[in-house]
Amino acid sequence: MALVELYQQVILDHNRTPRNRRELPAATHRARGLDALCGDDLIVELTVEDGRIEDAGWHGEACAVTTASASMLTEWLRGRSVDGLANDAARFRALLEDPEHPDDGEFNEINCLRAVSKFPSRVRNALLPWETALDAVSPRR
Amino acid sequence: MARAEHDMTTPPLDIDALRAEFPVLARTVHDKPLVYLDSAATAQRPQCVIDATTRFYSEYNANVHRGVHQLSVEASEAFEAAREKVRAGLNAKSEREIVFTRGATEAINLVAQAWARPRLEPGDEIIVSTMEHHSNIVPWQLVCEQTGAVLKPAPINERGELLLDELEALITERTRLIGLVHVSNALGTINPVERVCAMARERGIVTVIDGCQALPHVHVDVQTLGCDFYAFSAHKMYGPTGIGALYGREPLLEAMPPWQGGGEMILRVSFEETTYNELPHKFEAGTPNIAGAIGMGAAFDFLDRIGIDPIAAHEQDLLTYATDRMQAIDGLRILGTAANKGPVISFIVDGAHANDIGTIVDHFGVALRTGHHCAMPVMQFFGVPATARVSFGCYTTRGEIDTFLDALERARTMLA
Repeated sequence: MALVELYQQVILDHNRTPRNRRELPAATHRARGLDALCGDDLIVELTVEDGRIEDAGWHGEACAVTTASASMLTEWLRGRSVDGLANDAARFRALLEDPEHPDDGEFNEINCLRAVSKFPSRVRNALLPWETALDAVSPRR
Repeated sequence: MARAEHDMTTPPLDIDALRAEFPVLARTVHDKPLVYLDSAATAQRPQCVIDATTRFYSEYNANVHRGVHQLSVEASEAFEAAREKVRAGLNAKSEREIVFTRGATEAINLVAQAWARPRLEPGDEIIVSTMEHHSNIVPWQLVCEQTGAVLKPAPINERGELLLDELEALITERTRLIGLVHVSNALGTINPVERVCAMARERGIVTVIDGCQALPHVHVDVQTLGCDFYAFSAHKMYGPTGIGALYGREPLLEAMPPWQGGGEMILRVSFEETTYNELPHKFEAGTPNIAGAIGMGAAFDFLDRIGIDPIAAHEQDLLTYATDRMQAIDGLRILGTAANKGPVISFIVDGAHANDIGTIVDHFGVALRTGHHCAMPVMQFFGVPATARVSFGCYTTRGEIDTFLDALERARTMLA
């Protein structure tokens, strides 16, 4: 059932022990992501050198879906190019919009967040960390 | 009226018969019987309200106050009969004091723009409580921007009760208006409206009461309350969406300019001079929500037939039952524990975000509300980003509360 897919082990594990949930004092890029309606409020921080993301962290208050998404995203971002982030986010969004969407070869466990596509009211939660990361690298987006 | 004042001899509701009047309660959600615990967001509608609305469209649909033909006469009569039902429901002195609006939000904005805006001067003060819905905060912030007046929040305590002494201490000779929610949608608190209005009246301060959550649960008598304005939405009290009313004391409404121009609100229009219509039509520009108003009248009839006393007694029993059981849950905290409370329970659970609770219990058929409940200052006061909230109506049963608690336990286990 869809509920079990949404609250599957991988997502719950990231919710229980979120990765990179820490402040990055040396961050070069930072943005706040706020979803007042849901009560999600997080900061995404990135350390960028020569267009490459060297470190990524996040902190704040969020539901399990947002927490898992932020946790997976910050794991995944390390070593990625800043220029490619908008395209990566567009691919992630496409994944969330279609439950039949095939796995994205590059996304690894991030693919499991596709489960939110059956919960239209929760898609915004999975997207929030990604949009916040995009805001961090292009604040006037 | 406080729960302690309810007549203890009130005969109990026939819940099965009452539930049968609400067609939506027969449906399933995710293959489970619907357990609707979100009546504070919007109540469900009984068949009599649905029928009243449909009958207008299928039997006598016509514009009101416009034509001499039979349908227009019938529509106008039903529309004005609905106004009389609202008047009686609030015990207003006259139908001239009942202005139909889109809901409480529009009603409060009407007072803000037509009473406050032309009168307030820089440095004048408006007081609202910290537990207001955004609809009784933002219209005043707009007026403050427009006039230079100042908005002052009146504090609440940890139980979610208004601090009357602190409110009184906030009043100065510049205070022109006090806005107060009768029953808080986020916390359930029933406020001592009568005392606040008396306090205001002694000092010539105008009072605006947001009665959205009050009408389906407690007796409302605007003359006893002593308020100047009382705003509400029909959909919280088993009526249609998109309709509500503003009660205003006649001398105040009489002295106010119209706030929207158009048809209906005029007596005579020329390019040299336009004469405005009489109360309450002066404030009802354009073709109104006729079906909505008639449905709202039917909702007042419904509440009258079932009786607020038995409804309140039933809901207080549910509130006590649910509160006792929820307080026994480890890691669950109820926000809003006022001594005098309507059937609303806002709560947070350690390790389980409100959003996740809402999604999980939905899959067991349970509809509850999550988020800030359009009362972000309340969330800020309690230092939480969001809460989950269950709210009860006349049709809610103890069995449904049990189902909710089982689903909540599943959510806690799943997220643990």
